[in-house]
Amino acid sequence: MGKIKIATDWLAGCAGCHMSLLDIDERIVKLLEAVEFTSSPVTDLKHPPEEGVTVGILEGAISNTHNIEVARQMRERCQFLIAIGDCATFGGIVATRNLVGTQAALQRAYLESETTVDGCIPDSPELGVPLETVTGVDKVVHVDLFIPGCPPSADALFYALSELLAGRVPVVLPPELFRYD
Amino acid sequence: MTKRVNITINGQPVQARAGQTVLEAATEAGIQIPTLCHHPALEPIGACRICLIEISKFQPLHPACTYRVTEGLTVETHSPRVEKARRFVLELLFSERNHYCMYCPMSGDCELQDLGYMYGLDHWIYPTYTRPFPVDASREYFMMDHNRCVLCRRCVRACSELVANHTLGMRERGAKTMITADLDVPFGESSCVSCGTCLQVCPTGALVDKRSAFMGRNVQTQRTVTTCSQCSLGCGMEVVVRGSHILRLEGAWDAAPNGGLLCQKGRFDPLYDSRARLTRPRIRRNGGWEEVDWQTALATVAGRLANIAPDRLGVVTTGAATNEALYLLAKLAQDRWPAAHLGLWQQALPVRLQPQGMLTDLPVADLILLVGADPVADQPVASFLIKRAVDRGARLVIVDDPQNGLAPFAHQHFGRTQVGEAAQIAARADRPVVVYGAELTPEAAEALIGINGASFIPLEPGVNTRAAAALGFKPASLPTNVEALLLLLGEETPGAPPTGSRTANEVFTVVQASYVSPWTEQADVVLPMATWAERSGHLTNTEGRIQTVNAAIPPTGEARPDWQILSALAEHLGQKVPSSLEELSELAQSQITRS
Ligand code: SF4
Ligand code: SF4
Ligand code: SF4
Ligand code: SF4
Repeated sequence: MGKIKIATDWLAGCAGCHMSLLDIDERIVKLLEAVEFTSSPVTDLKHPPEEGVTVGILEGAISNTHNIEVARQMRERCQFLIAIGDCATFGGIVATRNLVGTQAALQRAYLESETTVDGCIPDSPELGVPLETVTGVDKVVHVDLFIPGCPPSADALFYALSELLAGRVPVVLPPELFRYD
Repeated sequence: MTKRVNITINGQPVQARAGQTVLEAATEAGIQIPTLCHHPALEPIGACRICLIEISKFQPLHPACTYRVTEGLTVETHSPRVEKARRFVLELLFSERNHYCMYCPMSGDCELQDLGYMYGLDHWIYPTYTRPFPVDASREYFMMDHNRCVLCRRCVRACSELVANHTLGMRERGAKTMITADLDVPFGESSCVSCGTCLQVCPTGALVDKRSAFMGRNVQTQRTVTTCSQCSLGCGMEVVVRGSHILRLEGAWDAAPNGGLLCQKGRFDPLYDSRARLTRPRIRRNGGWEEVDWQTALATVAGRLANIAPDRLGVVTTGAATNEALYLLAKLAQDRWPAAHLGLWQQALPVRLQPQGMLTDLPVADLILLVGADPVADQPVASFLIKRAVDRGARLVIVDDPQNGLAPFAHQHFGRTQVGEAAQIAARADRPVVVYGAELTPEAAEALIGINGASFIPLEPGVNTRAAAALGFKPASLPTNVEALLLLLGEETPGAPPTGSRTANEVFTVVQASYVSPWTEQADVVLPMATWAERSGHLTNTEGRIQTVNAAIPPTGEARPDWQILSALAEHLGQKVPSSLEELSELAQSQITRS
């Protein structure tokens, strides 16, 4: 049997969840005997391969139109999608923006902040357009497994992957690995 | 005996007491029903719907916290129908307001979060919440973040039922409902007395202590059960410590006389004390200060005291010392200087009226007569208990100046000379309770004694003045005709020394204190003392209860507990004193309770 392919990507997040993935440490060597990480934001190949992967992992919230595209692409190319971190599961820290409104947040960040000199709100066509409301990934695509935490612990991520490799689908993490912070 | 009622919970037969709620009966039987708005010290209101239970398939679900047991009742606490409803309720609770735990100061110690974990809520079913609510940080010690509030109304109930302050209420309706103070003013400008009871009962990150926010979760802290040392009530409390740093103080629910309450003086003020601490013994040499070790300091004191005549030693204490220290101080002085002045730097009760009542009598009083005391200022938790009794229907009659803090709650208010009239009114009550303090005049006492069937609750003016009086310390100004003065200031700094009182060669002055003050500046020897949080021992409260004080943190620098300093000094003077705290406590206690 060939190795199980896993692709990861990030949306509006801070990379902390991916750091947690790397925190699996030496256990990743063992994991790599059974899986292949095809692509991720921290490898040369950034996008999930067209032929698809078994497991897709997404970090970060849905905050702009670009995030929606990335989330949809991952969904199309994977069989089982995991949302990792509070941003991907609930909107997380990015969703704080909802409480002030997108326009006000942009204005504050790019025009009014104490360190701004000649500020302008970026509007390059290459960039995604900010959405009015930040949400978790499941508001845009179907998610098969949620692993909350900011970031989730390496143990939580390792547990979920190990369960999947063993052919079990963890519906909810065990209590000691389930956390919101 | 209370009537027994047979019920069945989850197929298990349970004997409940008549009048109990299903929640109470289940808890006693060891069956856990999750709750959120419920708090054992508060009246249940069934607001959050987390404790839903199934009585029968044909009935709607009921909240266990308000549903009373009846003979033959059958209850399911975790049936699929119940669990489904509970999860639904929980999802609704999380869908309102900002419950992003990762930047909430209460994360890890939040009852809503615990429920989220219990039910494995790993994403939002409902639309992501976007409506911002204000944060009110106008109160000095703790803040209100409405975004974290679940509207459980525990704070409202605590403020009304326990503190009887009625500051908190609700405004708006539905999802827009907000906790509000008075007629919607900032908390800091409201009638709130900063007792912190609402803070203590809040299950979420809505009410947050400014000082200890983000400083450590419960699992990272130690708790020491002790007695508040700020007034003569001696409220039971827990000191929450991380490392050797005090995070916060909480009222002990099962403690007498406070039953969980604390006041601003007890809960917050001690943690904001910014006075300079004394950390090493000092002696005055050649006109300047020299820091020395304990051995040298105590030997110096003992050496100088050795030659003082039997009637030329003055010993003065504040009411802030432990039973043990007061006992040792009196003994140390009287053993060697039989005619020593034993002074108390504080008022004392002029008389003790009998029969003495307890603060726990207040709830059954139908009339409370307050004379010569202002508990709002001096024993705040007693004022809460009095206001609670007034809420329950007791009449409050005050004999004092119009400024008395309880004046706004009084049914009748008499001037100090009209105590006779007040006593006549009290005499007509069925269960009158007289609460009196140090301002009671002998004439007033005369008038009060005649009140038929009354019990008398004293309010001692100082923390441990009841023990001090029992051990022979009498209110007096500084003795002038002495050669040596031993002053036990503790943590108090009673005014300033009379100018010119100290000329180093005249009166040899030893000051035992925790903080730098004009008194320590004028002393010949300064003995640094541990504070309330750093010492163990006992205090005698205003009702005569012997309350235990336990050290929560080690003393700062070389400071030592009050009684340890005195027992070391006694040794230097060649006196025999008990060496263990237990032995000492026993001796002190038997002498205090005997008088
Ligand atoms: S969940 Fe936390 S760690 Fe993960 S991307 Fe969001 S902010 Fe970063
Ligand atoms: S109040 Fe509780 S549930 Fe809400 S954010 Fe804070 S810790 Fe989480
Ligand atoms: S601090 Fe005390 S008085 Fe103030 S609102 Fe809270 S419970 Fe009421
Ligand atoms: S502030 Fe706290 S105690 Fe008061 S209603 Fe909100 S969550 Fe409940």
